[in-house]
Amino acid sequence: MSRTGRFTDLWRRATAVDEGGTEPDPRFTFANERTFLAWSRTALALVVAGLAIVQLLPPFPRVPVGRHLLGVPLIVLGAVLAVVAYTEWVRNQRALRRGEPLPKSLMPWILAATITGMAIISAIVVLLSALQ
Amino acid sequence: MTRAGNDSQGDDPEERDPGLARERTSLAWTRTAISFAALGGVVLKVNVVTGLIVLAVAPMVWQLGRIAESGSPRTQLPAVGIVRIRLITVSIVAVSLLSLLVALLGPAAPGALR
Repeated sequence: MSRTGRFTDLWRRATAVDEGGTEPDPRFTFANERTFLAWSRTALALVVAGLAIVQLLPPFPRVPVGRHLLGVPLIVLGAVLAVVAYTEWVRNQRALRRGEPLPKSLMPWILAATITGMAIISAIVVLLSALQ
Repeated sequence: MTRAGNDSQGDDPEERDPGLARERTSLAWTRTAISFAALGGVVLKVNVVTGLIVLAVAPMVWQLGRIAESGSPRTQLPAVGIVRIRLITVSIVAVSLLSLLVALLGPAAPGALR
């Protein structure tokens, strides 16, 4: 399948209204929605943090690109998390409708990997700016 | 387990009042709207027009959360369902793109927190 074909297929699956299975207990649907909202807030917090690092912090001495190095990936990750949170909401709702076990979530892994990466970059930037 | 929506008795508050789940969700929407407003405040400090655009999203999100409260039995889902989930996703992606632009093109001032 061509790349655009795969993309439109993904898009169609992500936006299709799920008619299969039966309507789950509303409380489960609400819980799924709250989980999505919680991840959305996490995404927004990452964007806030990234923007604040780039625009509000004084520059690091000796590391002129330090702020961008830290801030830009955080903002991009915010957008990525929002999209992944949406696909997970769709998958969870699908599983709930069919009474299947909930699919494994990718998001904790993504978040943990990013925090680790950001911590390493932060340590390097701070050390470089402290060196005389 | 009894389905929510019945006037079922039991020790579990969730069973006696299924509207609790709905209320929690409504509060989660409010928190999300506040998060948008917080981001708007930060953007405002860098670029006033972009900040106002982001701030304008907050009341929209708040209204989306309130849809859940209007009419219909307390335990039923609002008809909008997936639409508002999509709206939030699109809003966050748009807002992060705006933030990225503002971060890259904003004044490279020494930093307001100096």
